[in-house]
Amino acid sequence: MKGWIYAVLGGGFIALQGAANSRISEGIGTWQAATLTQFTGFVTALIIALFVGGGSFKDLKQVKPLYWFGGAFAAAVIYSNVTAIQSVGLTLTVAAVLIAQLAMTFLIESRGWFGIVKQKMGLPQFIGIAMMIAGVIVLKS
Amino acid sequence: MWHGLLLAAFGGALVGMQNIFNKRVGERASSWTTTTLVLGMGFAASLLMGLLTEGGQLFHLQHMKLWYGFSGMIGVGVVVCITQATKLLGPTYATSIALISQISFALWWDTQGWMGLEKVPFTLNQAAGVLIIICGILMFKFGDRMNMLGGLFRVKRLEKE
Repeated sequence: MKGWIYAVLGGGFIALQGAANSRISEGIGTWQAATLTQFTGFVTALIIALFVGGGSFKDLKQVKPLYWFGGAFAAAVIYSNVTAIQSVGLTLTVAAVLIAQLAMTFLIESRGWFGIVKQKMGLPQFIGIAMMIAGVIVLKS
Repeated sequence: MWHGLLLAAFGGALVGMQNIFNKRVGERASSWTTTTLVLGMGFAASLLMGLLTEGGQLFHLQHMKLWYGFSGMIGVGVVVCITQATKLLGPTYATSIALISQISFALWWDTQGWMGLEKVPFTLNQAAGVLIIICGILMFKFGDRMNMLGGLFRVKRLEKE
């Protein structure tokens, strides 16, 4: 039960983030919104990491440097997300994001890119993505 | 219309890639170290893009409101919730519920016109569309555990084992 609440809240926060970013962009501009919210998040996480988080930043040395830069995608993600929300609304934006996100995961995991253990992906995942696209078409009609 | 959907899909593909990158970092570093790095990189990249496109204008925050400054903490909330949910339920259940929750909240807020979103009336098509998307998510995540279509999917699963 507790796990469910966390998962539902987590999803809600992701949707809220999109809506809030879109609102803030209207107030101060899109790059401003991205820079400001990432900065606040960074400072908050840093404080938690320093005071309560186990582990150390030295651990990052064991990570292949390429993967350090995953977070940098957020700039483009926030920009496209905000622009999409302002043009097609939150529901369609979230739907398109989820489809592309799962399709990308599918591609990476089935090819074993970026050192991910190759996984057997097959028909169910294809059908799942096709159903999601069908859902968007119904949503739009 | 298509422009907006394509842009959203572009962002979604990047989210998928970012998740993989962050997962690789998380294998070696603690959850908070990883989150700090991820958000720090996001800040650096946004700052760079903002400066490149707008120069000093980036710092002219005319219509700034207090809550804008706190909104970034939502991202920290996301990490806490998803990490806890994954610990308690495992990744497949946790992400499925989170994805379904995300699209459901989106539809709810769109139809309420909440947070300055353009209010759209709730229609049967929207409910049906979101329901089909939810079924798609479940198929993607749990499809190969289902024993249906004459064991077609089970064969795939057995190959894996």
